[in-house]
Amino acid sequence: MTNIHAALEIGTSRTVLAVGEGRPGERVKVTCHAEIPSTKIRKSQILDMKQATRSVQSVLREIEKQKDEAGNSLGIGNAFLVVSGQHIKADPFQGIALVEGGKVSQADMDAAASSSQRMPLPKDRELLDAVSQAYTLDSLGGISSPKGMSGHTLKLDTLQIHADANRINDARTAAEDAHLELRDPLFAATCAADAALDDRERRDGALVLDLGGGSTGYAAYCDGYLVAAGVVGVGGDHVSNDIACAFQTTHAQAEGLKMREACAIVGLDKESTARVTVPGFSPLMEAKTVSRRALDTVVNLRLKELLSVIREILESRDLLHHIHAGVALTGGGAAMKGLDELAQRELGLPVRIGTPANVDGLEDAANPASYAAVAGALMYAHRNYERKPGLGSLFRGLFR
Amino acid sequence: MNAKSPILLVGVGGAGSAAALKVREAFGAPMRIVLSDTDAATGREDAPFVLLGGDRLSGRGSGGDTVQARLAAEDSAKSFDEHLDGVRLAVVTAAMGGGTGSGATYEIVRHFAELGVPAVVFATIPFSFEGEDRQRRCAGMKSMVEDAASAAFFAPLDDLVGECDNMDEAMRRAYESLAAGVTLFWRLLEKPGYIRLDAERVRAMLSGAGRARFAVATASGENRAGTVSDAIARSPLLAHGSAPVRSILCGVLAGEDLRLSEISRIADGMRDAFGHSCRFELATVNDEETFSGKISVVAMLFEAGQEDAPEESSGQSAPKGQRRSRRGGQSALAPGSRTDRFSNVEPTVWKGENLDIPTYVRRSITLEI
Repeated sequence: MTNIHAALEIGTSRTVLAVGEGRPGERVKVTCHAEIPSTKIRKSQILDMKQATRSVQSVLREIEKQKDEAGNSLGIGNAFLVVSGQHIKADPFQGIALVEGGKVSQADMDAAASSSQRMPLPKDRELLDAVSQAYTLDSLGGISSPKGMSGHTLKLDTLQIHADANRINDARTAAEDAHLELRDPLFAATCAADAALDDRERRDGALVLDLGGGSTGYAAYCDGYLVAAGVVGVGGDHVSNDIACAFQTTHAQAEGLKMREACAIVGLDKESTARVTVPGFSPLMEAKTVSRRALDTVVNLRLKELLSVIREILESRDLLHHIHAGVALTGGGAAMKGLDELAQRELGLPVRIGTPANVDGLEDAANPASYAAVAGALMYAHRNYERKPGLGSLFRGLFR
Repeated sequence: MNAKSPILLVGVGGAGSAAALKVREAFGAPMRIVLSDTDAATGREDAPFVLLGGDRLSGRGSGGDTVQARLAAEDSAKSFDEHLDGVRLAVVTAAMGGGTGSGATYEIVRHFAELGVPAVVFATIPFSFEGEDRQRRCAGMKSMVEDAASAAFFAPLDDLVGECDNMDEAMRRAYESLAAGVTLFWRLLEKPGYIRLDAERVRAMLSGAGRARFAVATASGENRAGTVSDAIARSPLLAHGSAPVRSILCGVLAGEDLRLSEISRIADGMRDAFGHSCRFELATVNDEETFSGKISVVAMLFEAGQEDAPEESSGQSAPKGQRRSRRGGQSALAPGSRTDRFSNVEPTVWKGENLDIPTYVRRSITLEI
């Protein structure tokens, strides 16, 4: 039973809960998942705790209705929390250890790793992950496995991903009020990368763009290491808001236009001159039409700007030309029409939709890439907690 | 090409590029020039050319679509950088009302401004008979070009042409007039005179310049100074002001026979016509070869700009995305724009811009909904 885990994401657009079962190797099978639209969450920040709690309760109820493969009803006691939002930052930090006996031992490596976990953080920050990169032994850098090498000082480069502790606590409170205990908070973009990238891509250099409702997370890999991660506080909600402003629609109408009609590339073909119908939202609201070209222009401007910000961030760290395997788009925004082509133009890299590659059970999902983050969280749980004792409480009343 | 000149002439769009070539032809000496258009056919072998939005429009032109032209110019803005080495002032020619002239000029000038290169724009405004659509398209982009440029001179084609019933003749006369004005301005900058106007003096003058108007006139004969002065004062091109004139740049171009009394007569005439209290800058060019026996005058009037307007706020600079327009004082947020969706959470700020404000609003894109 300890190879079954749950992951919760309280996002700007939707609240998602997924349950997965570990398979041999690192594969995970998502046995059931549920999602409902979020209410009163802006740019990944909860503005109404009661609503957030109700959202968690709703997805819990939905999951409980579903049967697992054995036909049993699931009752979930805890879940890993997937977090995003522009409050998440990543900073480099170096762990250090003196090599005892002149040759690097496992104990020296553990000491360097332990030291790397001690980056001082302000009280209001919570560490999400300390991702190991390469070792440096004396002046020799870029070492992946230093065990047995001769030297005096061993350093381990890490990328420390941390978040606003208050935002994490808000999610914890909302979940706990719904009687769901939250385990490790995990960064959505690196989770999505876990699910969408394979080892070869990470070695060749790859970028994951996790396009959420309130923000866009990025995780860049070179030589197999996570070299940059962060969040730009612009997401699909901004696209919808731009459409709502431009065409004087409700946010729901704009959301519909974005997902059904809009294209990130403004075409010059005949179809682009057509008009798009915006259905009325209530009996008092008449349907109207808007120019497809204008709609596409609004979306193009926003997404192009977002991609240019990401490009500038990567260029400023001299990373863009190290990304040879290309870009994987994940998150709900990955389904936006033309986004892959626009990203290819703006970033000058091959782009694909980041369908979770190491995960089963999402074959029938309408947009599998939108589950990449929760799927990656399930993989993390499977990798780190499988077969460890004392996790009997993970599922409260499982198979009850 | 004069590779050392600190002044670069940039033609934007088909008509703007044609006007730039006319300026080069009239100037008769090497000058730095770049042509640009969304239509690849505008390119020619004897002048550097920037194809705007090659990937987006495949060199077929913007089809009269201002937004497409803007996006195309934005795509290709960096292509101008290789032509900007040592440039201290860009002079841009364009025709407003079409797609590329209207849309691309703003993006190009904005790019120059970001690189610290002030731009002086000389552009035409469509004939009134060309219809409301072109006039509206022009009006929308005109105010944005005025905001982005250090100075922008807009000459209505109706005024440039005067009474002329033949369309070909009218267009020829219009662009020759525009080119003549730019050429005289160019001569003021490039040719020596008693009172020299160079790129640095123009840069200083243009700092904080508001909306601008310009006119040129040429006269010869006994009372040439009086004639040219009267022509400038009566020019319809100088009659479109909406605010008091803050400063005047008067360029007098003549041969070796230019007399001090003539300079004085012209300067007094302009002060009488446009105000004695405004700042007055004079420049002269002595070019016997071009101006023997005649006097040409270039008059540039600058209206009061934003710096002269009272501040409504506490004086703190607003974020870039919320900055007020330099001209009309209208908020950069178009009517109906909403940012309140994100008002309760930390704004997303990138390089001073509030990204929560719709991109099309911050970029002042007028959508044809």
